[in-house]
Amino acid sequence: MTEEEFQRLCDFLYRRTGMLFGEAKRYYVERRITERMAATGATAFASYFARLRGDVRGEIEQFVNAFTVNETYFYREDHQLQCLTSDLLRERLKVKPRGEAVRIWSVPCSTGEEPYSIAIWLLENWPQVDSHDIEIVGSDIDTGVLEAARAGIYGKRALMRLSPELIERYFEQIDDEHWQVLEDLRGSVRFSSVNLVEAAETRPNGRFDVIFCRNVLIYFDDASRRVAAENLYENLAPGGFICLGHSESMSRISPLFEVRRYADAIVYQRPLEAARG
Amino acid sequence: MPLIRKGDAEPSAPIGADGDVIAALTNGTNDQRWAAARAAGDIPGGVQALGRALATEADARVREAFFTSLVRARSLEAVDAVLPHLRSDDANLRIGALDALRGMAATAAPRLPFLLSDPDADVRLLACEILRDLPSADAVPLLCRLLEREDQVNVCASAVEVLAEIGGPDALPALAACAARFLSEPFLVFSIKAASARIGAQSPGHG
Repeated sequence: MTEEEFQRLCDFLYRRTGMLFGEAKRYYVERRITERMAATGATAFASYFARLRGDVRGEIEQFVNAFTVNETYFYREDHQLQCLTSDLLRERLKVKPRGEAVRIWSVPCSTGEEPYSIAIWLLENWPQVDSHDIEIVGSDIDTGVLEAARAGIYGKRALMRLSPELIERYFEQIDDEHWQVLEDLRGSVRFSSVNLVEAAETRPNGRFDVIFCRNVLIYFDDASRRVAAENLYENLAPGGFICLGHSESMSRISPLFEVRRYADAIVYQRPLEAARG
Repeated sequence: MPLIRKGDAEPSAPIGADGDVIAALTNGTNDQRWAAARAAGDIPGGVQALGRALATEADARVREAFFTSLVRARSLEAVDAVLPHLRSDDANLRIGALDALRGMAATAAPRLPFLLSDPDADVRLLACEILRDLPSADAVPLLCRLLEREDQVNVCASAVEVLAEIGGPDALPALAACAARFLSEPFLVFSIKAASARIGAQSPGHG
């Protein structure tokens, strides 16, 4: 791949998905391009790039998959969890009516690692955890993964970032290779089926204080991204926050949100003043 | 444990009769207009009503919902409802219209040759951006023909920038001819040189 081709690809990827790759990532990008060219039978970058631009046979999704860590695990991107307890909840509590539950949505939640991680993180790291009711909802379009989420059974790799003490406290070992989230914790997270681009499916979940919506919008085309952004906007309380994946940018997706920069993460906020609109 | 679990989600209430939705596009509060805009794309006559109401909508958030509903409709009628706003004096409205048209570029394709010949240079410039989202085989010939006749340097620069991303070797003659016509515009000559280098540096193979 020539320098010019690399730049072309990077420009396209940024515009289409928000994923930003600099020269430092060039080797990494070239490896994945080579893999995708081999998989699609493309003999030159130009023909592969045309296929990618035209999204022939869902090539954009295949390409993005080659760049993202599809594997999910407990405490993944925990800097956002740190931001949640350091900054986001503090801001929310300033404006929430006293006694109202703190509501957090993990969407898409896949097999449940993220909503359970949020629950464990709050129990371990938020000093005010006993002073508030906290409702955590995990949603996904795939009902198969939701069944796995409800069962809450995980292997070693999913637990690799948890200390032995945390595993001991929140899981029950069921055999040499698997642990199950304790029943109390499993029972405290609600799981539901949701298609993010269908308002009739997102609205019934109500308004949340914080939404974790990581690594899904990059797969959507422009129209679906706009609709999903508006649905997420409706599902946020005024002043509520949305956390995206590290390579995603909501400001490219929708002008509905304000960018907020905290010590641990960049997040997006539904403006407070919209409550008066 | 402070974690609580409430019952399953409740279906949301229906938003109202079709006539109510269309009336709310222009008569409601911001929140009512937002809700009406999101619903209008799915009802008979909704696309035309969205197009009419868009012209008077002042709230940026509600306007975004108007555009999204039109993008979702993805029809030539929706394209025609958005097009007049490419000429708006309001930059936010103009950019909103551009983003919406890019979101349905394939649907807008029949209108693009006319936009590229529009008497308003700003419209021609924005039309180049819409072409970026079309397949190269459709977009590159239109951009090359524009470069052959365009007399506004900024419009040419916009076309050149798009060609730098989507163009192939077939665009090189038009780029070279454009550079020769604008020798007194060093910025454009430099842009064309950079775009041509990028296009010309494609690795061997049949593309």
